Amino acid sequence: MSLTIKDKERAGVINPMYNCQPCGAQFAGIGIRDCIPLVHGGQGCCTFVRLLFAQHFKENFDIASSSLHESAAVLGGMKNVEVGIDTLVQRYPDLRIVPIITTCSTETIGDDVDGVARKARRMLKEQFPNRSVKLVPVHTPSYSGSHVKGYDTALLALTKELAKKTESNGKLNIITGWLNPGDVTEIKYILNEMGVEGNILIDTETFDAPTMPDKDAFAYGNTTIEDFVETPNAVGTIALCPFEGGSTAQFLQDEFDVPAVIGPTPIGIENTDKLIQNISKLTGKEIPESLVVERGKALDAIADLVHMFFADKKVAIYGDPDLVIGLAQFCLEVELQPVLLLLGDDNKTYSKDPRFKELEEKANCDIEVVCNADMFELEDRIKNKGADIDLILGHSKGRYIAIDNNIPMVRVGFPTFDRAGLWKYPIIGYKGASMLAESIANAMFTDMEYKHKDEYLLNVW
Amino acid sequence: MPLKLFECDTVIPERKRHVYVKNVGEDTSMFLPMANIDTIPGSISERGCSYCGAKLVIGGVLKDTIQLIHGPVGCAYNTWHTKRYPSDNDNYQLKYVCSTDVKEKHVIFGAEKLLKQNILEAFKAFPNCKRMIIYTTCATALIGDDPKAVAKDVMKELGDVDIFCSQCAGFAGVSQSKGHHVFNIDWMNEKVGTYEPEITSDYTINMIGDYNIQGDSVVLSDYFHRMGIQVIAHFTGNETYDGLRSMHRAQLNVVNCARSAGYIANELKKKYGIPRLDVDTWGFNYVAESLRKVGAFFGLENRAEQVIAEEYAKWEPKLNWYKERLKGKKLCIWTGGPRLWHWTKALEDDLGMEVVSMSSKFGHQEDFEKVIARGNIGTIYIDDGNELEFFEVLKEKKVDVIFTGPRVGELVKKLHIPYINGHAYHNGPYMGFEGWVNCARDIYNGIHSPIWALAGKDIRKGA
Repeated sequence: MSLTIKDKERAGVINPMYNCQPCGAQFAGIGIRDCIPLVHGGQGCCTFVRLLFAQHFKENFDIASSSLHESAAVLGGMKNVEVGIDTLVQRYPDLRIVPIITTCSTETIGDDVDGVARKARRMLKEQFPNRSVKLVPVHTPSYSGSHVKGYDTALLALTKELAKKTESNGKLNIITGWLNPGDVTEIKYILNEMGVEGNILIDTETFDAPTMPDKDAFAYGNTTIEDFVETPNAVGTIALCPFEGGSTAQFLQDEFDVPAVIGPTPIGIENTDKLIQNISKLTGKEIPESLVVERGKALDAIADLVHMFFADKKVAIYGDPDLVIGLAQFCLEVELQPVLLLLGDDNKTYSKDPRFKELEEKANCDIEVVCNADMFELEDRIKNKGADIDLILGHSKGRYIAIDNNIPMVRVGFPTFDRAGLWKYPIIGYKGASMLAESIANAMFTDMEYKHKDEYLLNVW
Repeated sequence: MPLKLFECDTVIPERKRHVYVKNVGEDTSMFLPMANIDTIPGSISERGCSYCGAKLVIGGVLKDTIQLIHGPVGCAYNTWHTKRYPSDNDNYQLKYVCSTDVKEKHVIFGAEKLLKQNILEAFKAFPNCKRMIIYTTCATALIGDDPKAVAKDVMKELGDVDIFCSQCAGFAGVSQSKGHHVFNIDWMNEKVGTYEPEITSDYTINMIGDYNIQGDSVVLSDYFHRMGIQVIAHFTGNETYDGLRSMHRAQLNVVNCARSAGYIANELKKKYGIPRLDVDTWGFNYVAESLRKVGAFFGLENRAEQVIAEEYAKWEPKLNWYKERLKGKKLCIWTGGPRLWHWTKALEDDLGMEVVSMSSKFGHQEDFEKVIARGNIGTIYIDDGNELEFFEVLKEKKVDVIFTGPRVGELVKKLHIPYINGHAYHNGPYMGFEGWVNCARDIYNGIHSPIWALAGKDIRKGA
């Protein structure tokens, strides 16, 4: 069977699949404790992204703007950055780190953010001798890449700025990529079962913040500055999502000889097998019986669904690249046919990803991969070009394609604001694999009921 | 001390000029908060950008118009799936957004060719759509692209399309507000008077400054329809592009949102002599008063009274049921600006509630004149409020409910305070008679949720 990779034919974008780079950098920033990212640009670049995070997580995250106005746009916005840092440091006594994130405006006017950071560091030393506040310039021009690249860039910038080699700490660096808090919980579970101490970048588990009797629990990121400092002292690094954190794993290997395993994203049984075997290889720890049981439970659940409901069903998948590729691999495991994969930016290295070759070898269907794609690409194919799709896997911004064309859709990726609580559940690991399979089945079952299409099948299966 | 410096603002003392606590017997004109001036960088202000004011708030409401955002992809992504303005055109305006997807090479060499290609592609993608608004954003404004020239070129080439250009980059002005202004004035100068509507009544109005949040415009249109009045254009709720080109044909401009759309009402008065009538379309008694004013203008007093009587009969008992239960409850309104002055007294009069703090993201001084005139003694009036200030307000005032956006709502949830979406509503519409009952119901359900008592209970104490 064939797998073809090509670019979308239109120059423009109708219904974008991805956000721009600064959004990705902001996502990395909110995952760090005592951190408030400062977005250097117009106010919308920060306010809209805060709203986006609230849509997905139903939580507030603090992000500040340098509030670039007209005069600064013409005469330079360096002063805005200085004032912004000063204001943040003075009003937030616990603040320890400020990523300074550029945007299209401030990259275009050429503000020297590295220079202003150096100047501000001196200012902080003089004015706050008892405090240490790290400033980390992050260059994220919106007119290249996407939020995927912005996340990757921010993580690398933070690591480069903070990492210090001292003594081995025996930990394993896990670079999660843009996954949900539920996925972080899952990876922690796996590490715990194996007796491995992880250093999780970036630990977003605490985004699931409780409402407490004493009213003092708020959502925050759980990775500390020290966690970044410690990264070179680990026994190895596993980057779960090559395009979101892979460059940091590579940097730690090149600079500090920390062995790196970059991918595959542990979506599905086989990818999770690889993850667990890699953890075992890097740490020398045995794979415990409990994970074999966990795996068996997932397979047991999946086996009930595959030949009966999934076989030969055609799936379209869109979202972040590692997610899309991982989900496609998962589809093949469960007899679904991932016939159309959409990746939303112009990263030229996608076609070199070895996972595409693997997909081609395993597939029992032709697979089309469209890079630089938008959501209209999917809609147009379904509505106007006769694409035959039984299931859509993707984020909530594509919801109307499913709704208007009566195709069942399972929400995965970011953002998934039109279903409740999805960020709490894993899609990685064995648990994630059964969650995914069961969500897909349940979406299909509901669809059968609404359409009165053989809904009587659902009694004995 | 009528002007107030929050504790959290000791290091940014200029904030004192933005916060006023109303006192008895004070000449309030002496203490009008500074408004519509530069934001303090790093203050975690609630403000957005002026592109937002043009596209998301006003232009993007139109139900038959392609929204093409000229810039990198984020500005389009971020103004899509965030609004609740439905239409009777299958919600086209909610489902689609177009971006020219500007890349580095375009920033260096210019993006006009790319823009042209995009316009043609978009009209091809939506063959039934013949209208378009192009918005510049930060990067494309800085590099000096000329979208008007490109649009003119395409209009000539295609013949049957019409395009408007909104040139308002995110860094223009200090908030969303500038985007409202630029959109209003440019639309007036370039598009009003270029289309002739069919006149079906002796009485015609424009309903200006209402964006059909959860169907507000539909509620209002129904009242006018029953009074025998033709709405030439809604600016811009559930409206068409050509409807807005016809605004010169109305006899009266009825203005609700004077902040975002007072500009065009003023210009229409100057150029075409159409009087501007400011009304409140939120608030039970306010709406009655507004319909009476419109009725009086046309000599349709009887028809106005008839509509009011029918609506009162239908909704007043329900409103009073909620009033009984909401009396004395305290709330904050932290929204854009106008809803502060539309709502403070309406909530007081119609529901017996007390507004103890209000914050405006982008209001001007005239918005503060209005809200301070209508608002309570002891209430805190804040311009461009920020997060730490909000926490301080809540420490100082006992608050039962907050009207604000969903993100801030999630934040105050941790403090066991319910929120009602003051921008896009919980279960709207909130305008008109029925709308105010909807609003009262949502406040009631928010305050009376069993969740808050459960949240306050520490199960370790008292088994």
